[in-house]
Amino acid sequence: MNKLIKKALPSAIALALLGGANLVSAAVNVQCPGDTDGDAVIDSPDPDHPNAVCKHLIAGDSFSVMSDGNPMYMFGFGEQTGTDPAVVIGDGILDAEWPGPTIELDQGDEFYLSLSNVGTVIRPDLFDPHTVHFHGFPNAATVFDGVPEVSISINHGATLTYYYNIVEPGTYIYHCHVEASEHMEMGMLANLYVHPQQDVTGCDPLTNCPVATRKGGTDPGAPTGYTYNDNDGTTAWDVEEPIQVSSFDPDFHDASLFVQPLPFAALEAKYPMINGRGYPDTIIPGDLPAPTDNMAPVAGHPPGKVTGNPGEVLNNGTPVQTEDSVITVTQGQTLLLRLSNVSIDRFYTLKAQGLPMKIIGTGSRQMRGQTGKNIYRDVSSVNFGGGEIHDVLIDTADVAVGTYFLHAAELHQMSNLTQLDGGMITEIEVLTP
Amino acid sequence: MKPIYKQPGRFLGVLALGLALVLPWAGSQAAHDIRGITGPTFNLYAFPFNMNLPDGSSVHMWGFGDIDAGANASFHRDPDDPTGPFIQYGAGYGVPQYPAPTLIVNQNEAVTINLSNFGVPQPVSIVVTGHQVTAMGSGVEGLVTQASPDKNSLPPGTPNTVTYSFTASEPGTYIYHSLNGANPGLHAEMGLQGVLIVRPTGYNATSNRIAYNEAGTDYEQEFLYLLTEVDPDLHFEVERGHFNHSTNSDRLATIWFVNGRVFPDLFQGDFNTLFPNQPYQALALAHPGDKVLVREVNAGHDPHPFHHHGENMFFIGRDGRALSSDGLTADLGRSDNTLNSAPKQAVDMIWTWTGKDLNWDIYGTTTGPLGRPDLAHSCSNPACPDGNGDGFDDGTGDACWDVSTREYCPDHNKEFPVNLPGVADLSLGGWWSGSPFLGDTGNLPPGEGGLNPFGGYFLVWHSHAEKELTTFDIFPGGSLSSMVILPAAAPID
Repeated sequence: MNKLIKKALPSAIALALLGGANLVSAAVNVQCPGDTDGDAVIDSPDPDHPNAVCKHLIAGDSFSVMSDGNPMYMFGFGEQTGTDPAVVIGDGILDAEWPGPTIELDQGDEFYLSLSNVGTVIRPDLFDPHTVHFHGFPNAATVFDGVPEVSISINHGATLTYYYNIVEPGTYIYHCHVEASEHMEMGMLANLYVHPQQDVTGCDPLTNCPVATRKGGTDPGAPTGYTYNDNDGTTAWDVEEPIQVSSFDPDFHDASLFVQPLPFAALEAKYPMINGRGYPDTIIPGDLPAPTDNMAPVAGHPPGKVTGNPGEVLNNGTPVQTEDSVITVTQGQTLLLRLSNVSIDRFYTLKAQGLPMKIIGTGSRQMRGQTGKNIYRDVSSVNFGGGEIHDVLIDTADVAVGTYFLHAAELHQMSNLTQLDGGMITEIEVLTP
Repeated sequence: MKPIYKQPGRFLGVLALGLALVLPWAGSQAAHDIRGITGPTFNLYAFPFNMNLPDGSSVHMWGFGDIDAGANASFHRDPDDPTGPFIQYGAGYGVPQYPAPTLIVNQNEAVTINLSNFGVPQPVSIVVTGHQVTAMGSGVEGLVTQASPDKNSLPPGTPNTVTYSFTASEPGTYIYHSLNGANPGLHAEMGLQGVLIVRPTGYNATSNRIAYNEAGTDYEQEFLYLLTEVDPDLHFEVERGHFNHSTNSDRLATIWFVNGRVFPDLFQGDFNTLFPNQPYQALALAHPGDKVLVREVNAGHDPHPFHHHGENMFFIGRDGRALSSDGLTADLGRSDNTLNSAPKQAVDMIWTWTGKDLNWDIYGTTTGPLGRPDLAHSCSNPACPDGNGDGFDDGTGDACWDVSTREYCPDHNKEFPVNLPGVADLSLGGWWSGSPFLGDTGNLPPGEGGLNPFGGYFLVWHSHAEKELTTFDIFPGGSLSSMVILPAAAPID
């Protein structure tokens, strides 16, 4: 395995650079108003598109590592905004992140999202196209909806730019929809959320909801932000954290790595995760180190499962698990949890013993009825399946200082395969004011 | 706009899509109703059958069928043409089916279901969610109610019909299924399950299309989304007569259905003879701006997170009760794009796609990327009221939408925002029209596309437990269905 990868890598990179099967036309081509050099960074704002926001992602493959040391082959999205387009494919190889880069937008943005397909270097036999599906986008048109059966998807070595006019605030998801059962299990999943216009404008009367501090508000009672354009201040928050729950089935990922038939029917979540990590990795701030091949036997594999060389650094040393789930809030503040479930085979229930939860939004919309009635729900747990999104406020005014666990109420999901006290857990620390 | 749907060749091609285009070109706002049989008296039988799946395998099932062979099948007609012809879907259809016949009754009717077991090897019963049902007749005592024994197990001529009676006192969506035997989940698993729809007292098929008597439950299009799942191993055991070889601990569903079909079969039309025992399609259709009532029912044993592309839906009812605090308005419903569909739960919801605020013209422009002279068109309300300048209309309803094309006029004549890569850089879906514009088609390489000759917008509706997009280990399959937004002038019936 080790020799195979070392020899296959340069030729596969050369293939990807040439665009593989689409030699004639393939090219990285970022479209972004006001960007003059193709790196998806606006150099001089285009007066016709003053609110343009651009991003350049790659779709490719890489390895992540589970909290028990088991390296997982995966597909994913990687951040390449700001990269010279001439080197994007080279940089993007083995740089798929888990989860994909978080996308944070403001209502009113014109969002230009360029997706370049760098191929799957570890599986050079595959020629899979990729897409972005903006899950929950209102009034979606098929062309930018990313469902390959009914739309278009991007081939190796080329770029497709998606356009989204951002008018609805809320918590969303984005993921690849190509061969959805496979690409989503393989890790092409990420957080996406949109801040409301009310952060900028406040509402009438301003005493209920002053301009948010994240948009320059100076009122002493101003929150950091609002979740929705609520017009009554009831969705205000001081600290926010995206919490995306997911799971990997190691048998599926190993089947992909070792070029075996994929077990769809037998698929079973065995590595429950929050933001791409099992506990205790969830509370390590910042990036996890670049993954390394396993030193000790794990899950039936000998040391060096991937390369035959225990401890060998994978991904050319690039860290890919960049989203921690460290949550720190000062007593009296309101915490917004942007919960989404992207598991492809099961429901999860999240709870945080000792912390009161209020669901204020579902499916990227405020919980408000047809006649304008707020129909928030005070709960102690949130049960949700794949594709479901809940915005949950935790008011810490009456909460004791200390450390709380946010975890799966299905207690057996608090494990990393056979390793206990792991899996779907993170910590919420409530500090003394 | 290029009038592509007037070309006969493409018109015929639509049949491949399952769009039942039997009406003449009318330019009217035709509407879809859920297919079913109407009461108040139903005569059902139970019988085993084998059902083909797209991978070439077959699954042994037990089904309910209509003894009257669709004599009371529901009628539909164009609401804009109240004197036009009635069309009856399912007349003459009487084979055992999966799911069971959808029963459609009116509120306050005294409903009678006569059930005769013609060949299912265990006594079969009917229970109806949300209703007080009385059972009498020639059955045997079952698990929770009277059950009809297999007539082949009785001396010739012995009556075995059980009569179930109830009053349909509340409008809404309900499930009926068999519940009997040593393994209580077996009968529903085997296919003895279907949907009961109760129309509210104020309902009129042409002039007052409402799901409940509460305000906010009105609609133009109506579709059923019945979610079920099957463990084929269990069906193999039953086919061999090993009724007790499978227990709950063995069950692992590996085939997922909407309206009794899997992808891509579920895109084909109602009562398509390719699927003799699976009469109901799961391809929803609407025009821009249509209020679409979706009756989403989970009759299976497992929960499913069912996701709707294109727009959120507003919940209006659950388990046969409007979501209302005052009995006047469905004011307690929330918005979501994914339904946490629990077993035996029925949720009614309204879904509407308008294309509003895409910030580009859905019918295309003559200039800019992808501009073409033949895409020129007008929008008759280009100056809709927007006093506060927020880009939205000021709450005056349909003022911003063109009456005939349903275009959102503030987006009119805005150029398409990006260039699309050439076809050599793209993988093209079979239902991709070749154009991003509604009602338009583009040039595609030979062998590509072709399944969307109307230039409709396909917005898939599917289980977001993506494992469930498979049929017995094969992707794509399972509960991957779609909504199609059609140009306003395209007929839907």
